[in-house]
Amino acid sequence: MNLSFSDKVLHWCKTLIHCRRFSRSWMGKNLSMIQLMELDACTHCAMCSSHCSVAIAFEGIPNINILPSEKVASIKALASGNPLTEQEIRGLQEGVYLCTNCYRCTVVCPVGINLQNLWNRVRELLIQRGIPELSVLSPLSFYRGLMKAEAAQGDYEKPLTQAREAISSQCDLMKKKDEVLHLTPVDEKFKSGLDLSSQAKNFSICFGCQTCTTVCPVVRHYENPQEVLGLLPHQIMHAAGLGLKDLAIGSNMLWDCLTCYQCQEQCPRGVPVTDVLYELKNSAIKYTKEKI
Amino acid sequence: MMKYALFLGCQIPIRLQQYETSSRAVLERLGVELMDIGEFNCCGYPLRNIDFKTFLLASARNLALAETKKLNVMTLCQCCYGSLKKADFLLKENLSLRKEVNAVLQQEDISYEGKIEIKHLLSVLDQEVGIEAIRKKIEKPFQGLKIAAHYGCHALRPSQIVRFDDPGNPSIFERLVNVTGAKSIGWLMRLECCGAPLLGSHDELSTEMTLKKLNNGRESGANYLCTACTYCQIQFDTVQQMILSRQGSNPPLPSLLYPQLLGLSMGIPPEPLGLKMNKIPIREIGS
Repeated sequence: MNLSFSDKVLHWCKTLIHCRRFSRSWMGKNLSMIQLMELDACTHCAMCSSHCSVAIAFEGIPNINILPSEKVASIKALASGNPLTEQEIRGLQEGVYLCTNCYRCTVVCPVGINLQNLWNRVRELLIQRGIPELSVLSPLSFYRGLMKAEAAQGDYEKPLTQAREAISSQCDLMKKKDEVLHLTPVDEKFKSGLDLSSQAKNFSICFGCQTCTTVCPVVRHYENPQEVLGLLPHQIMHAAGLGLKDLAIGSNMLWDCLTCYQCQEQCPRGVPVTDVLYELKNSAIKYTKEKI
Repeated sequence: MMKYALFLGCQIPIRLQQYETSSRAVLERLGVELMDIGEFNCCGYPLRNIDFKTFLLASARNLALAETKKLNVMTLCQCCYGSLKKADFLLKENLSLRKEVNAVLQQEDISYEGKIEIKHLLSVLDQEVGIEAIRKKIEKPFQGLKIAAHYGCHALRPSQIVRFDDPGNPSIFERLVNVTGAKSIGWLMRLECCGAPLLGSHDELSTEMTLKKLNNGRESGANYLCTACTYCQIQFDTVQQMILSRQGSNPPLPSLLYPQLLGLSMGIPPEPLGLKMNKIPIREIGS
């Protein structure tokens, strides 16, 4: 398109006027003018979604906002002042977090929208709002950690603390340290649920030798590990074996696990300790998501 | 002719391009042909905390794409390696799981039947190319350079699945360092975690793990740390620099990628090795 200078000015003014309708909404106020113009420029061609590194995740987690082209549509709706329901906001928040920040969407966008910058901005705005986003407790946060200096527009730690608190709030038994535990009836549903993934079989053959806990670099790091981490790996295996859900999923240990696989490698009984911890993290997220 | 589909993952093309360029430069000289599959997606690693099936689907799609092209896969990142190996193991072992995964993949007319192998860069160099063949290509062997080889957890463990080296007493990385003329030092924490998996979710714990390793490497007399994993390198380079800019207490222990080290000893110029792209300078190593 070959525009004269005056045409360009006219075009620019038109776009500005067009974008003003965004500037009244909460989302619109928090995006830059260029980002608002970019939202308007999206033709929903879905080139981004066809190149997205995590588009396949949509097949496992049915949230349309995982797909970048649909994220733009939701953000555009928010910026236009269309009220989204809390459920829709949760969906957008999760969708915008389930992203490996690989920039492929931005590289392939035929209109040249800096989608990655848009995700970063919207992600931070949403997770600072107070609805706990549990995906922050995963290596998807690596990029946010790298960008800490720039991302500090709100309280960096808040979304992380909130996610941990949301999970622990569902585990009452963890708070009652003097409670006598009722081991029957065993929560068979929870116990057998752990087996389904086929990565975490055999936790019930643990004989409590504590090798997993002894070799764990995270346990070793703390002077009083139980105070910081809650239940330690061998205790978590034991809790899972007994079907005590609150105890199995309520410890900080799960989220502080480096997944270095030392415990699993050295278990004399062949319990896939790290994989069981992975499995418990999945259960904790799924269970908490249903409750909050 | 050795031929592999190169699996880069999500971080290398945007955050660690020097790992790709240096690996390509080195492998070209050693006669390893690399094929690119543009449709590859995330290896699934960051999704494992959230949902196992989603992790498996993501991983399996990559395996299916490579199998369609009848190519074995070579990864540069050890977390990608661990994830693809895990998925490969489960899909080869568990038929009903494979059926379930393939039912989804069939929408794209692909499926995984377990006919390919997944290798890490270091295994390809050590087992396929071979130490002797590498030795013949060394033009400028290092002298007196002391390197702390950092293994990386997800290549070593769980050994039953990854089958990379002896998990308790591995030697592949030391062999590969020594062939460049550099000396791989013995250090206590060589098999420990770099801390990267918790960056962003528990920064304090993550960086303390990193510092412990760096201090141990420095105290053991290393001039440089050497990695062969995307996350470990970012942690020891970018994140170490972030820590230093906050609390510049100890002098840095710079980290470089194995193909950068090997490339220099093979006489490959600094440009394709991307030496300038490391955050903590490693320029002196070439001089």
